[in-house]
Amino acid sequence: MLETRTLTKSFGPIHVTKGVSLRLEKGERRVILGPNGAGKTTLFNQLVGELTPDSGTILLDGADVTSLRVADRARLGLSRSYQKNTLFDGLTIGENLGLAAAVALGKGQGLWRDPLQSAEVRETVREVAAQVDLAAFLDMSVKAVSYGIRRQLEVGIALATRPKVILMDEPTSGVGPEMSKGFHRLLKALPRDLTVLIIEHDMDLAFDVADTITVLNYGEVVFDGLPEAARQSQMLKDIYLGAWEDA
Amino acid sequence: MFAHTPLRLTTLTLLAIGSLAYAFVAGFFGLEILAEIAILAILVIALDLVAGFGGMVSLCHGALMGVGAYAFTVAANEAGLGAFPAMMLAVALSAALAFVIGAICARSIGIYFIMATLAFGQMAYSFVFQSPLFGGDDGLSGAPRPDLTAIGIDLTDSRAFAIYAIAMVALTYLVAAATLRSGLGRSLVGLHHNEKRLRALGLTVWRAKATAFAISGALAGLAGCLAAQHTQYISPGLLSWTVSGEALVVVILGGLGTLVGPIVGAVLFVVLKHEISAITPYWHAIVGLILIAVVMSRANGVFGFVEARMAARKSKPVLQKANADA
Amino acid sequence: MTADLGFWVLQTLNALQLSMLLFLLSVGLTVIFGLMHFVNLAHGSLYAFGAYMAASLAGVLGYWGGFLLAPLAVAALGAVLYFTLIRSQRRAGPMAQVLITFGLIFVAVDATRLIWGDLPIGIAVPAVFEGQLALLGVTYPIYRLFIIALGLAVLAVLTLVLTRTQVGAMIRAGVDNDQMAACLGINVERMFFLVFVVGCALAGLAGAVAAPVLSVTPDMGLQILIPTLIVIVIGGLGSLKGAVAGSLIFGFVQTFGAVLLPTFNSVLIYALLAAVLVIRPEGLLPAKG
Ligand SMILES: Nc1ncnc2c1ncn2[C@@H]1O[C@H](COP(=O)(O)OP(=O)(O)OP(=O)(O)O)[C@@H](O)[C@H]1O
Ligand SMILES: [Mg+2]
Repeated sequence: MLETRTLTKSFGPIHVTKGVSLRLEKGERRVILGPNGAGKTTLFNQLVGELTPDSGTILLDGADVTSLRVADRARLGLSRSYQKNTLFDGLTIGENLGLAAAVALGKGQGLWRDPLQSAEVRETVREVAAQVDLAAFLDMSVKAVSYGIRRQLEVGIALATRPKVILMDEPTSGVGPEMSKGFHRLLKALPRDLTVLIIEHDMDLAFDVADTITVLNYGEVVFDGLPEAARQSQMLKDIYLGAWEDA
Repeated sequence: MFAHTPLRLTTLTLLAIGSLAYAFVAGFFGLEILAEIAILAILVIALDLVAGFGGMVSLCHGALMGVGAYAFTVAANEAGLGAFPAMMLAVALSAALAFVIGAICARSIGIYFIMATLAFGQMAYSFVFQSPLFGGDDGLSGAPRPDLTAIGIDLTDSRAFAIYAIAMVALTYLVAAATLRSGLGRSLVGLHHNEKRLRALGLTVWRAKATAFAISGALAGLAGCLAAQHTQYISPGLLSWTVSGEALVVVILGGLGTLVGPIVGAVLFVVLKHEISAITPYWHAIVGLILIAVVMSRANGVFGFVEARMAARKSKPVLQKANADA
Repeated sequence: MTADLGFWVLQTLNALQLSMLLFLLSVGLTVIFGLMHFVNLAHGSLYAFGAYMAASLAGVLGYWGGFLLAPLAVAALGAVLYFTLIRSQRRAGPMAQVLITFGLIFVAVDATRLIWGDLPIGIAVPAVFEGQLALLGVTYPIYRLFIIALGLAVLAVLTLVLTRTQVGAMIRAGVDNDQMAACLGINVERMFFLVFVVGCALAGLAGAVAAPVLSVTPDMGLQILIPTLIVIVIGGLGSLKGAVAGSLIFGFVQTFGAVLLPTFNSVLIYALLAAVLVIRPEGLLPAKG
C-alpha cells in the first residue's frame, strides 16, 4: 500500500535518511521506533511530500508518487498528523474537522454551497468526533481547550479526510496515561483496511497495536520485523537503553 | 469562520435604512458624499474579503479598481459597448488580472505578499500612466452612466445614482458573504490560520488563493466602474498604491475580517474627511494619527471593538461561574 | 547616437548616481528588516526630512553644515520613533507595521507642509563641487560624481564594519538567526537601536546629498519609497549585497530604460521585479539560506 525504496535525504553534511526501504501492506499497522533525532519525522515529511528526498522512490498503492506535490498525494488517500500540533487555531473544533472533511471531499474550492452544512461533511465530523472523543467539544474554540484535547484533534483532522493510509507522528506525546489509553482504543477501533504508520515512543502502545515494527537509528533501518522479535533483540536494547527501561 | 451575528445583521440593517433614508432627503452635496461612500465601501469589502479573512494583505486593490475604471471607460467610449456590457467586461478584466496576481503571489506570505502586490499594482499604474492609449497623466473623461430610463430611472440624477450605488454595495456584500460561506471561503479562512495543514489535507493552495483574489478583484473592478460613472473622469491616480493603502486604512479603522466593519469604516472615513478638510488642510496627518492610535490600541477597528465588547459581556457570566467553581 | 561612447559613459554615470542614492536609502531599510523584521514604510519620509533639514541648515551654516547635521537630525528623529513606535511594534507582525508606518507617512507629509510649505525648495551645489568635469569624452557635473563617490565610500565603510568588526559580526549573526544571537548573549536591544538609528542617519544623508540635484518637496519621501522597496525586494530583504545589487539593477534599468525604451520605461522595472518574485520569491541575494 505504501512503499519506499532506498530513500535518502541529507541536510548539508547530516544524513537524516539513509537508504530507507519500507513496505506496508494494506491494513497493516506498523510502528516506527527510534531515538530522538533518528530521522522519523523527516521520513514522514518525505512520505507526504513536504520534503523532497535526494534520491529513492515512494510508491502509494503501487503508483510512483515521488514527484507529486503534497496536496496531490493527500488526494490519493494519504493523511498525516504532526508531532507538533498543526491546527486551525482560530476556529472551533467542529470547524477544524469540518474543514478537513470538506477539503478531502473536494469541496475546498466550491463556490456555491457551504460544505460545513452538507450532510456528508456533518456525518464525517460526527463520526470522527466520536472516534477521537471530541463530541462534547465541537463548539469550543481550539484556543480554549487543553493540550490533550488539541492532541486528539490533531489526529482527528488526519482521520477526517477518510484516508487509505494514515501516518501519525507521536500522537500521544505529552499527554497523560489516561489519554494515552484512549489512543490505544482508538487505534484498535480503526477500520481494518486502513493502513497505519505510527511513530511512537511509548513501548506498551507500540507492542500492543503493532503488526510490525521498524526501528530507525541515525537515519537507517536497523530493525524491521515482528513485535516479538523486536522485544527480544539485544541490539535494540542497546540502542534504546534508556527508553526500554522506562517502558 | 464567517457568520452573521445579530450585531452584524443589525448593523447592516441600520446601514441600509440609514443610507436609503439619507438618499431621499440629502441635497446635491450629500448625495455626492453618499456615492463616494458607496464606492469606497465596495472597494473595502473586496479588500476585507482577502485581507481580513485570507490574510492576503493586498496593496494592489487600488490598481484593480483603476483597471476596472479604465476598462469600463475605454470599452464604453472607444469600443462603443453599452454601459452594462462594458461593466461586465471591466469586472471580468479586473478579475482575470487579480487571478494572475493572486496565482503568482500565492507562494509569498507576510511582508513578501504585501510587497509583491505593491509591485504589481505599481506596474499597472505605470502602464496606464505611460501608455498614450489611456490619456496618460491627463486621464480620460466621459465615462457614461448606465441608461435605465427604460425602467423609469435616470442615473444622471444624483439621487438616483446614489441609490444605484447603494444597491451595488448590497450586491457586493452579498457576493462577498456568499463567497465566505462557500467551500472556497472556508478554505480561505483555513489558509489564513494554517496553510501547511490545508495543503496536507489536499487543497491546491495556489488555486484557492488565486480564485479568492479574483473574486475580490472583480468587486474592486466594480468599484472602479462606479467611480468612473460617478465622476465621469478618471486619472491614473486611481491606480496608485496610496489608494490601496487608504483602502487598507479604512478596513482597519472599521474592523478587519468582519466584512461589516469596513462598511462602517467607509462611512466614517468619508464623512470625517469632508468634515476635517473643511477645517484644516492637514486632513492626512489627522488620519495618520488616528490610524496609528487604532493600530497601537490593538482594537480591531471601530466595529471590531464593539463586537469584542459585546462578546465579552456575553461571556462574562460564564467566566464568573467558572471562577465560582474553581 | 547610441553608438557613441560618450552616450554610454554619460548614461552609466547617471545610472550609478541613481544607484548610489538608492543604495544609501535601501541599505538601512534592508538591514533593519533583516535584523528586526520591521518594515518601515516611513523610511522615505526620513529621507525627505533629511533633505529639508539640509536645505534649511544650508541657509544658515552653508552646504556642509547641512550635509553634516541633517543626518544627525534624522538619526535623532529616528531615535524618538524607535522608542515611541518601533520598539513596541516589533513583534506586532507585518500588517501592523505597514499600517503604523503608513500612518507616519501621512503625518510626515503634512508636517513638512506645515513647517516648510508646499513649494519646492532648492539649494545650491557647494562651491567646491561646482562645475563640470571632462572625462572619457563627456562633461559631467562634479557634484554628481561626488554622489557616486560618497555612495561607494559608504558601501566600503559598511562592508568593513560588517565583516571586520565585532558589532558587524553580531549584526550578521542577528540577521542570520535572532534566537541564536540572543543566546550568544548579544545585547539584541542595543544592537537594534544602533542599526535603526544608523539606518535613519543614512536615509538623512541620502536626503542631504539629493537636495541640490532634486527639488525638495513634501512628497519626495513618498516618491522615493517605491524605488527603495523595489531595490530591497529584488536584492533580497536583509542583505547588504542584495541592497547593492538591487540598487545597481534599479539604477541601470531605470536610466537605460528611459533612453532606450522610453514608452515602457517604468513598466520595465516592475516587470523585472515581478519576474524576480516569481522565480526567486526571496530576492536575488537573500540574507538567509
Ligand atoms: N529542516 C532541517 N534542516 C536541518 N536539519 C534538520 C531539519 N529537519 C530535521 N533536521 C535534523 O534531522 C535529524 C532528524 O530529525 P527528525 O525530526 O526527523 O528526528 P525524529 O526522529 O523525528 O526525532 P524526535 O523523536 O525528536 O521527533 C535531526 O538531527 C534534526 O536536527
Ligand atoms: Mg519527530
